[in-house]
Amino acid sequence: MIIVGLSIALMVVSVLMIMLVLLHKGKGGGLSDLFGGGVTSSLGGSSVVQRNLDRLTIATGLVWIVGIVALGLLILRQG
Amino acid sequence: MLGAFVRAFRTPELRNKLLFTLFILTIFRLGAVIPAPGIDSVAIEKCVQQTAETGASNIYALINLFSGGALLQLAVFALGIMPYITASIILNLLTVVVPRLEALKKEGQAGQSKITQYTRYLTIALAVLQSTSVIAMARTGQLFQNACIPEEYMPFLHTSYELPVLIMIVFVMTAGTCVIMWFGELITERGVGNGMSLLIFTQIIAEFPAGMMRIWSENPAWVFALVCVAGVVLITGVVFIEQAQRRIPVQYAKRMVGRRMYGGSSTYIPLKVNQAGVIPVIFASSLLYLPTLVVGLLGAETDNKVVDFLNTYFNPMGNHPVYLTTFFLLIVGFAFFYVAITFNPAEVADNMKKYGGFIPSIRPGRPTAEYLDYVLTRLTTPGALYLGVIALLPMVALGTSGAAANFPFGGVSILIMVGVGLDTVKQIESHLQQRNYEGFLR
Repeated sequence: MIIVGLSIALMVVSVLMIMLVLLHKGKGGGLSDLFGGGVTSSLGGSSVVQRNLDRLTIATGLVWIVGIVALGLLILRQG
Repeated sequence: MLGAFVRAFRTPELRNKLLFTLFILTIFRLGAVIPAPGIDSVAIEKCVQQTAETGASNIYALINLFSGGALLQLAVFALGIMPYITASIILNLLTVVVPRLEALKKEGQAGQSKITQYTRYLTIALAVLQSTSVIAMARTGQLFQNACIPEEYMPFLHTSYELPVLIMIVFVMTAGTCVIMWFGELITERGVGNGMSLLIFTQIIAEFPAGMMRIWSENPAWVFALVCVAGVVLITGVVFIEQAQRRIPVQYAKRMVGRRMYGGSSTYIPLKVNQAGVIPVIFASSLLYLPTLVVGLLGAETDNKVVDFLNTYFNPMGNHPVYLTTFFLLIVGFAFFYVAITFNPAEVADNMKKYGGFIPSIRPGRPTAEYLDYVLTRLTTPGALYLGVIALLPMVALGTSGAAANFPFGGVSILIMVGVGLDTVKQIESHLQQRNYEGFLR
């Protein structure tokens, strides 16, 4: 049962991760700069909001990857 | 050359950028090795080898190459950057067709970021689709051509918690794709080079040593030497053409603005032979990978007419003439399409006229635009043909052995390696030149 619970928890974290990444301003996306040239490197630093968002994303990412490894080990142990 | 490296690391700004890029790429590779929860990495490794030994032509080899071997290991980052690329291609093509998107594109920065946001949503949707189909194929054992038993690498099958775990893996892989997307954006924003293409580059390079080892162990030494020589020759040729450009002279008239003198200089517009870069190749190969996806979704073993058709004509390993011709035509078509999107002769001619520039012996305005268009078309023709030939060369040369995609110097991978490598070095160089003049390239 603990596996089912953890799986659901990991799903929630995954969704959270997707949300957080989508919240980032999509910089340097699209193909406009895939072909080299064009406008390069944005100027200026990031705002406080952006920085906090970065921190939150990194924290969630750490939880996510730890969860993946832990759950993986757990399932293999059971099987 | 080495001095340039030392200088690059002495420049604090550039050093930070380089280290940041390397750091992200390292995490990226790590994620490509960590298996998704519930997957036995040891068993799956054995499976991959078994499949390779049975000699079954694996239709997923090309996708596997693009994901740096992560796909067949069912890693967290199994899907790699492919969904993002496919999404960008789809949106880019739609921009031409759908008026609303075209209007957004013309809006400039704000519109562009909106299109980017759409691309990201589409990426997530594609990631869900692909991860579901990959998991479904892994569960039936079809991913490895039934060379081994699914229960071996998925020990949780036939237990009470099978379904939640399967769904969880789909979620994890989708989130993984999302993280990769973020990595790409981070590299573009704070690192060196273009994130998306650098990530593909890493994935292809990651498979490179393994491919060389395979050739070394499976063939006599002279074959290995021959492959190495062929690779070096190919790379030289590709670099040569990538760097080739036609310089159209432009003369600027002298102007007095207030008491200062402007213009009066003569420069040139560089028109590259291969203006489109590697994009057409990436486009064509990811479009041609759609049939594989369809086959994966419908199941290869059915007697479905569509599947049969796709398997005969569009099997990436089959080297069927229809497949090769389609590939070639797609590359050539995309090359022209891309040049048309990225370089607008009328706009360039207009700008030149505004600043008092002209091409000697050509009148400014419309005749200039026509001239530029004429030159560009003539330049792109060999450029597009070259792209097509290079991409197809190894497939044709290696023939039906099915080794083409495993060949480390495959046309697609060589074009991407050289193209991205050159682009990145040039960007590093432009950073270097802000400080001192000597760079990598002489």
